[in-house]
Amino acid sequence: MTIASNVKQCLATIRGIESQLSSLALNSLDEEAKAIFHESAMTIETVKKDLQFRVLELERQEPQYKGS
Amino acid sequence: MNGYLEILLRSISFILFLFLITKLVGKKQISQLTLFEYVSGITIGSIAGEVVTGLEQNYLQGALAVFIFGLVTFLTDTISLKSKKFRDIVEGSGTVIIKDGKLLEDNLKKEKYTIDNISTLLRQNNVFKVADVEFAVLEPQGKLSVLLKKENRPLTPKDLQMKVPNEKEPFTIIMDGKIIDDALRWSGKGRGWLYTELEKMNATLDNVFLGQVDSYGELTLDLYDDKIQVPQPQQRPLLLASLKKTQADLEIFSLSTECEKSKAMYKKNAAILQEMINKMEPYLNG
Repeated sequence: MTIASNVKQCLATIRGIESQLSSLALNSLDEEAKAIFHESAMTIETVKKDLQFRVLELERQEPQYKGS
Repeated sequence: MNGYLEILLRSISFILFLFLITKLVGKKQISQLTLFEYVSGITIGSIAGEVVTGLEQNYLQGALAVFIFGLVTFLTDTISLKSKKFRDIVEGSGTVIIKDGKLLEDNLKKEKYTIDNISTLLRQNNVFKVADVEFAVLEPQGKLSVLLKKENRPLTPKDLQMKVPNEKEPFTIIMDGKIIDDALRWSGKGRGWLYTELEKMNATLDNVFLGQVDSYGELTLDLYDDKIQVPQPQQRPLLLASLKKTQADLEIFSLSTECEKSKAMYKKNAAILQEMINKMEPYLNG
Protein backbone atom coordinates (compact mmCIF):
# COMPACT_ATOMS: atom_id res chain seq x y z
CA MET A 1 0.00 0.00 0.00
CA THR A 2 1.35 3.38 -0.95
CA ILE A 3 0.46 6.71 0.53
CA ALA A 4 -1.32 7.55 -2.71
CA SER A 5 -3.69 4.60 -2.44
CA ASN A 6 -4.28 5.31 1.27
CA VAL A 7 -5.25 8.87 0.51
CA LYS A 8 -7.52 7.64 -2.28
CA GLN A 9 -9.21 5.24 0.10
CA CYS A 10 -9.74 8.04 2.59
CA LEU A 11 -11.22 10.18 -0.18
CA ALA A 12 -13.66 7.40 -1.02
CA THR A 13 -14.76 7.17 2.64
CA ILE A 14 -15.28 10.92 2.70
CA ARG A 15 -17.46 10.69 -0.42
CA GLY A 16 -19.50 8.00 1.34
CA ILE A 17 -19.88 10.13 4.47
CA GLU A 18 -20.99 13.10 2.39
CA SER A 19 -23.72 11.15 0.65
CA GLN A 20 -24.94 9.60 3.92
CA LEU A 21 -25.11 13.03 5.54
CA SER A 22 -27.14 14.35 2.61
CA SER A 23 -29.55 11.43 2.82
CA LEU A 24 -29.93 11.92 6.59
CA ALA A 25 -30.59 15.62 6.01
CA LEU A 26 -33.36 14.71 3.58
CA ASN A 27 -34.89 11.96 5.69
CA SER A 28 -34.87 13.61 9.12
CA LEU A 29 -38.07 15.20 10.39
CA ASP A 30 -36.64 17.51 13.04
CA GLU A 31 -35.68 20.86 11.52
CA GLU A 32 -32.64 21.34 13.75
CA ALA A 33 -31.25 17.89 12.92
CA LYS A 34 -31.89 18.57 9.22
CA ALA A 35 -29.90 21.82 9.44
CA ILE A 36 -26.98 20.18 11.30
CA PHE A 37 -26.75 17.30 8.80
CA HIS A 38 -26.92 19.70 5.88
CA GLU A 39 -24.27 21.99 7.34
CA SER A 40 -21.96 19.02 8.01
CA ALA A 41 -22.41 17.79 4.44
CA MET A 42 -21.22 21.23 3.24
CA THR A 43 -18.24 21.19 5.61
CA ILE A 44 -17.14 17.75 4.51
CA GLU A 45 -17.33 18.90 0.91
CA THR A 46 -14.52 21.41 1.55
CA VAL A 47 -12.42 18.62 3.10
CA LYS A 48 -13.16 16.49 0.05
CA LYS A 49 -11.94 19.23 -2.32
CA ASP A 50 -8.63 19.56 -0.44
CA LEU A 51 -8.07 15.81 -0.59
CA GLN A 52 -8.98 15.62 -4.27
CA PHE A 53 -6.37 18.25 -4.99
CA ARG A 54 -3.79 16.30 -2.97
CA VAL A 55 -4.59 13.10 -4.87
CA LEU A 56 -3.91 14.85 -8.17
CA GLU A 57 -0.63 16.15 -6.76
CA LEU A 58 0.39 12.66 -5.62
CA GLU A 59 -0.47 11.18 -9.01
CA ARG A 60 1.77 13.73 -10.65
CA GLN A 61 4.64 12.92 -8.32
CA GLU A 62 4.24 9.15 -8.52
CA PRO A 63 2.85 8.49 -11.99
CA GLN A 64 3.32 4.74 -11.63
CA TYR A 65 0.38 4.63 -9.15
CA LYS A 66 -1.96 6.62 -11.34
CA GLY A 67 -5.45 5.20 -11.32
CA SER A 68 -4.72 2.62 -8.64
CA MET B 1 -90.17 -16.19 25.48
CA ASN B 2 -91.50 -12.74 24.77
CA GLY B 3 -89.60 -11.45 27.84
CA TYR B 4 -86.27 -12.71 26.50
CA LEU B 5 -86.85 -11.13 23.14
CA GLU B 6 -87.72 -7.86 24.79
CA ILE B 7 -84.56 -7.89 26.89
CA LEU B 8 -82.56 -8.55 23.72
CA LEU B 9 -84.12 -5.61 21.92
CA ARG B 10 -83.85 -3.33 24.94
CA SER B 11 -80.19 -4.23 25.48
CA ILE B 12 -79.16 -3.65 21.90
CA SER B 13 -81.02 -0.38 21.57
CA PHE B 14 -79.68 0.85 24.92
CA ILE B 15 -76.11 -0.01 24.01
CA LEU B 16 -76.48 2.13 20.89
CA PHE B 17 -78.17 4.89 22.87
CA LEU B 18 -75.48 4.92 25.58
CA PHE B 19 -72.82 4.96 22.86
CA LEU B 20 -74.41 8.09 21.40
CA ILE B 21 -74.67 9.78 24.80
CA THR B 22 -71.02 9.04 25.60
CA LYS B 23 -69.97 10.42 22.21
CA LEU B 24 -71.98 13.56 22.94
CA VAL B 25 -70.33 14.19 26.30
CA GLY B 26 -66.92 13.14 25.04
CA LYS B 27 -63.72 11.82 26.53
CA LYS B 28 -64.14 13.86 29.68
CA GLN B 29 -67.00 11.64 30.83
CA ILE B 30 -64.83 8.54 30.64
CA SER B 31 -61.94 10.07 32.55
CA GLN B 32 -64.44 11.18 35.27
CA LEU B 33 -62.34 14.20 36.06
CA THR B 34 -64.97 16.06 38.01
CA LEU B 35 -67.43 15.15 40.71
CA PHE B 36 -70.29 15.83 38.32
CA GLU B 37 -69.13 13.33 35.72
CA TYR B 38 -68.46 10.77 38.40
CA VAL B 39 -72.03 11.00 39.70
CA SER B 40 -73.68 11.12 36.28
CA GLY B 41 -71.57 8.19 35.09
CA ILE B 42 -72.72 5.97 37.91
CA THR B 43 -76.34 7.08 37.60
CA ILE B 44 -76.54 6.58 33.85
CA GLY B 45 -75.12 3.10 34.32
CA SER B 46 -77.62 2.07 36.95
CA ILE B 47 -80.59 3.56 35.10
CA ALA B 48 -79.58 1.65 31.98
CA GLY B 49 -79.25 -1.60 33.95
CA GLU B 50 -82.57 -1.07 35.61
CA VAL B 51 -84.42 -0.33 32.37
CA VAL B 52 -82.90 -3.21 30.41
CA THR B 53 -83.74 -5.92 32.90
CA GLY B 54 -86.82 -4.51 34.67
CA LEU B 55 -89.50 -5.42 32.17
CA GLU B 56 -92.34 -3.76 34.05
CA GLN B 57 -90.65 -0.37 33.76
CA ASN B 58 -91.36 2.01 30.94
CA TYR B 59 -88.56 1.91 28.43
CA LEU B 60 -88.93 5.42 27.12
CA GLN B 61 -89.00 6.98 30.58
CA GLY B 62 -85.69 5.34 31.35
CA ALA B 63 -84.23 6.54 28.09
CA LEU B 64 -85.41 10.05 28.90
CA ALA B 65 -83.67 9.96 32.30
CA VAL B 66 -80.42 8.83 30.72
CA PHE B 67 -80.74 11.52 28.10
CA ILE B 68 -81.31 14.21 30.75
CA PHE B 69 -78.25 13.12 32.72
CA GLY B 70 -76.16 13.15 29.58
CA LEU B 71 -77.50 16.54 28.51
CA VAL B 72 -76.93 18.18 31.91
CA THR B 73 -73.36 16.87 32.00
CA PHE B 74 -72.84 18.21 28.49
CA LEU B 75 -74.28 21.61 29.45
CA THR B 76 -72.18 21.91 32.62
CA ASP B 77 -69.09 21.06 30.61
CA THR B 78 -69.95 23.75 28.07
CA ILE B 79 -70.66 26.41 30.72
CA SER B 80 -67.50 25.40 32.61
CA LEU B 81 -65.49 26.31 29.53
CA LYS B 82 -66.85 29.86 29.67
CA SER B 83 -66.97 30.70 33.37
CA LYS B 84 -64.25 30.23 35.94
CA LYS B 85 -66.64 30.83 38.85
CA PHE B 86 -69.02 28.12 37.65
CA ARG B 87 -66.08 25.81 37.18
CA ASP B 88 -64.90 26.31 40.75
CA ILE B 89 -68.33 25.41 42.12
CA VAL B 90 -69.02 22.41 39.90
CA GLU B 91 -65.61 20.90 39.45
CA GLY B 92 -64.06 21.82 42.77
CA SER B 93 -60.39 22.59 43.19
CA GLY B 94 -57.45 20.78 44.64
CA THR B 95 -56.51 20.95 48.32
CA VAL B 96 -52.88 21.49 49.26
CA ILE B 97 -51.84 18.73 51.65
CA ILE B 98 -48.07 19.23 51.84
CA LYS B 99 -46.37 22.57 51.43
CA ASP B 100 -42.66 23.37 51.89
CA GLY B 101 -42.23 19.78 53.01
CA LYS B 102 -44.73 20.13 55.88
CA LEU B 103 -48.09 18.40 56.25
CA LEU B 104 -50.99 20.84 56.55
CA GLU B 105 -53.11 19.25 59.28
CA ASP B 106 -56.00 21.70 58.93
CA ASN B 107 -56.51 20.85 55.27
CA LEU B 108 -56.27 17.13 56.07
CA LYS B 109 -59.01 17.52 58.63
CA LYS B 110 -61.16 19.50 56.21
CA GLU B 111 -60.97 16.70 53.63
CA LYS B 112 -61.45 14.02 56.31
CA TYR B 113 -58.25 12.24 55.33
CA THR B 114 -56.32 10.39 58.01
CA ILE B 115 -52.54 10.25 57.98
CA ASP B 116 -52.85 6.59 56.94
CA ASN B 117 -54.86 7.57 53.86
CA ILE B 118 -52.25 10.12 52.89
CA SER B 119 -49.43 7.59 53.44
CA THR B 120 -51.21 5.15 51.13
CA LEU B 121 -51.65 7.78 48.43
CA LEU B 122 -48.01 8.81 48.76
CA ARG B 123 -46.87 5.21 48.46
CA GLN B 124 -48.91 4.86 45.27
CA ASN B 125 -46.75 7.70 43.96
CA ASN B 126 -43.63 5.74 44.99
CA VAL B 127 -42.95 8.06 47.91
CA PHE B 128 -42.26 6.36 51.21
CA LYS B 129 -40.86 9.28 53.13
CA VAL B 130 -42.92 12.40 53.70
CA ALA B 131 -39.70 14.39 54.11
CA ASP B 132 -38.91 13.81 50.39
CA VAL B 133 -41.98 15.75 49.31
CA GLU B 134 -41.89 19.46 48.63
CA PHE B 135 -45.51 19.96 47.63
CA ALA B 136 -48.57 17.72 47.29
CA VAL B 137 -52.13 18.45 46.17
CA LEU B 138 -55.22 16.35 46.65
CA GLU B 139 -57.04 16.55 43.31
CA PRO B 140 -60.86 16.84 43.10
CA GLN B 141 -61.18 13.22 41.97
CA GLY B 142 -59.28 12.01 45.05
CA LYS B 143 -55.85 11.43 43.52
CA LEU B 144 -52.70 12.84 45.08
CA SER B 145 -50.24 14.77 42.91
CA VAL B 146 -46.75 15.01 44.32
CA LEU B 147 -43.84 17.33 43.58
CA LEU B 148 -40.64 15.92 45.04
CA LYS B 149 -37.82 18.04 46.37
CA LYS B 150 -35.31 18.87 43.66
CA GLU B 151 -32.65 16.47 44.94
CA ASN B 152 -35.12 13.57 44.94
CA ARG B 153 -36.34 14.04 41.39
CA PRO B 154 -35.07 11.74 38.64
CA LEU B 155 -31.96 12.94 36.88
CA THR B 156 -32.53 14.49 33.46
CA PRO B 157 -30.06 15.42 30.70
CA LYS B 158 -30.77 19.04 31.58
CA ASP B 159 -29.45 18.49 35.12
CA LEU B 160 -26.24 17.13 33.62
CA GLN B 161 -26.11 20.06 31.19
CA MET B 162 -26.02 17.60 28.33
CA LYS B 163 -27.21 18.61 24.91
CA VAL B 164 -29.65 16.08 23.53
CA PRO B 165 -31.25 16.49 20.14
CA ASN B 166 -34.98 16.79 19.89
CA GLU B 167 -36.81 13.81 18.40
CA LYS B 168 -40.11 13.82 16.64
CA GLU B 169 -42.73 11.16 17.28
CA PRO B 170 -42.31 7.89 15.36
CA PHE B 171 -44.92 6.95 12.78
CA THR B 172 -46.43 3.50 12.42
CA ILE B 173 -46.48 3.00 8.68
CA ILE B 174 -47.06 -0.76 8.39
CA MET B 175 -49.68 -2.68 10.36
CA ASP B 176 -50.58 -6.33 9.76
CA GLY B 177 -48.74 -6.33 6.46
CA LYS B 178 -50.63 -3.32 5.15
CA ILE B 179 -49.22 0.12 4.42
CA ILE B 180 -50.88 2.95 6.34
CA ASP B 181 -50.78 5.61 3.66
CA ASP B 182 -51.81 8.52 5.89
CA ALA B 183 -49.00 7.90 8.36
CA LEU B 184 -46.58 7.44 5.49
CA ARG B 185 -47.51 10.85 4.17
CA TRP B 186 -47.21 12.49 7.61
CA SER B 187 -43.74 11.08 7.95
CA GLY B 188 -42.83 12.76 4.68
CA LYS B 189 -42.03 9.53 2.85
CA GLY B 190 -43.54 7.70 -0.07
CA ARG B 191 -44.26 4.14 -1.09
CA GLY B 192 -41.18 4.05 -3.31
CA TRP B 193 -38.96 4.87 -0.34
CA LEU B 194 -40.68 2.19 1.76
CA TYR B 195 -40.22 -0.54 -0.86
CA THR B 196 -36.52 0.34 -1.16
CA GLU B 197 -36.06 0.19 2.60
CA LEU B 198 -37.89 -3.15 2.82
CA GLU B 199 -35.69 -4.56 0.10
CA LYS B 200 -32.59 -3.31 1.92
CA MET B 201 -33.73 -5.22 5.02
CA ASN B 202 -34.64 -8.30 3.01
CA ALA B 203 -38.27 -8.30 4.13
CA THR B 204 -41.48 -8.67 2.17
CA LEU B 205 -44.42 -6.44 2.95
CA ASP B 206 -46.85 -9.25 3.84
CA ASN B 207 -44.43 -10.66 6.40
CA VAL B 208 -44.27 -7.38 8.34
CA PHE B 209 -46.50 -7.22 11.41
CA LEU B 210 -45.45 -3.73 12.48
CA GLY B 211 -43.20 -1.15 10.88
CA GLN B 212 -42.30 2.20 12.39
CA VAL B 213 -40.21 5.06 11.04
CA ASP B 214 -38.42 7.34 13.48
CA SER B 215 -37.35 10.96 13.47
CA TYR B 216 -34.21 10.20 11.42
CA GLY B 217 -36.10 8.30 8.72
CA GLU B 218 -34.87 4.91 9.98
CA LEU B 219 -37.25 1.99 9.61
CA THR B 220 -37.68 -0.64 12.35
CA LEU B 221 -39.65 -3.80 11.60
CA ASP B 222 -41.33 -6.56 13.52
CA LEU B 223 -41.96 -9.63 11.39
CA TYR B 224 -44.59 -12.36 11.69
CA ASP B 225 -41.82 -14.89 11.43
CA ASP B 226 -39.91 -14.45 14.70
CA LYS B 227 -37.11 -16.74 13.60
CA ILE B 228 -35.86 -14.23 11.06
CA GLN B 229 -33.42 -11.69 12.46
CA VAL B 230 -34.23 -8.18 11.33
CA PRO B 231 -31.21 -5.89 11.08
CA GLN B 232 -31.47 -2.94 13.45
CA PRO B 233 -30.85 0.45 11.85
CA GLN B 234 -27.10 1.04 12.09
CA GLN B 235 -26.63 3.88 9.69
CA ARG B 236 -25.90 6.65 12.19
CA PRO B 237 -23.50 4.78 14.52
CA LEU B 238 -21.66 3.52 11.43
CA LEU B 239 -21.46 7.03 10.06
CA LEU B 240 -19.98 8.24 13.34
CA ALA B 241 -17.41 5.45 13.23
CA SER B 242 -16.35 6.26 9.67
CA LEU B 243 -16.11 9.97 10.55
CA LYS B 244 -13.77 9.08 13.41
CA LYS B 245 -11.74 6.79 11.16
CA THR B 246 -11.34 9.51 8.52
CA GLN B 247 -10.27 11.99 11.15
CA ALA B 248 -7.60 9.56 12.41
CA ASP B 249 -6.44 8.87 8.83
CA LEU B 250 -5.93 12.58 8.21
CA GLU B 251 -3.89 12.86 11.41
CA ILE B 252 -1.68 10.00 10.24
CA PHE B 253 -1.21 11.57 6.78
CA SER B 254 -0.22 14.85 8.40
CA LEU B 255 2.44 13.04 10.46
CA SER B 256 3.84 10.94 7.64
CA THR B 257 4.07 13.47 4.85
CA GLU B 258 7.22 15.50 4.32
CA CYS B 259 5.69 18.22 2.22
CA GLU B 260 5.08 21.17 4.57
CA LYS B 261 2.14 22.50 2.60
CA SER B 262 0.29 19.17 2.64
CA LYS B 263 1.11 18.71 6.32
CA ALA B 264 -0.69 21.99 7.08
CA MET B 265 -3.61 21.00 4.83
CA TYR B 266 -4.06 17.61 6.53
CA LYS B 267 -3.83 19.22 9.98
CA LYS B 268 -6.42 21.83 9.13
CA ASN B 269 -8.87 19.26 7.76
CA ALA B 270 -8.34 16.91 10.70
CA ALA B 271 -9.25 19.80 13.00
CA ILE B 272 -12.35 20.56 10.91
CA LEU B 273 -13.46 16.92 11.15
CA GLN B 274 -12.82 16.79 14.89
CA GLU B 275 -15.00 19.84 15.40
CA MET B 276 -17.69 18.25 13.24
CA ILE B 277 -17.57 14.98 15.20
CA ASN B 278 -18.04 16.88 18.47
CA LYS B 279 -21.03 18.70 17.05
CA MET B 280 -22.66 15.63 15.49
CA GLU B 281 -22.08 13.12 18.26
CA PRO B 282 -25.44 13.65 20.03
CA TYR B 283 -27.24 13.15 16.71
CA LEU B 284 -25.33 10.07 15.65
CA ASN B 285 -25.33 8.09 18.90
CA GLY B 286 -27.87 5.28 18.46
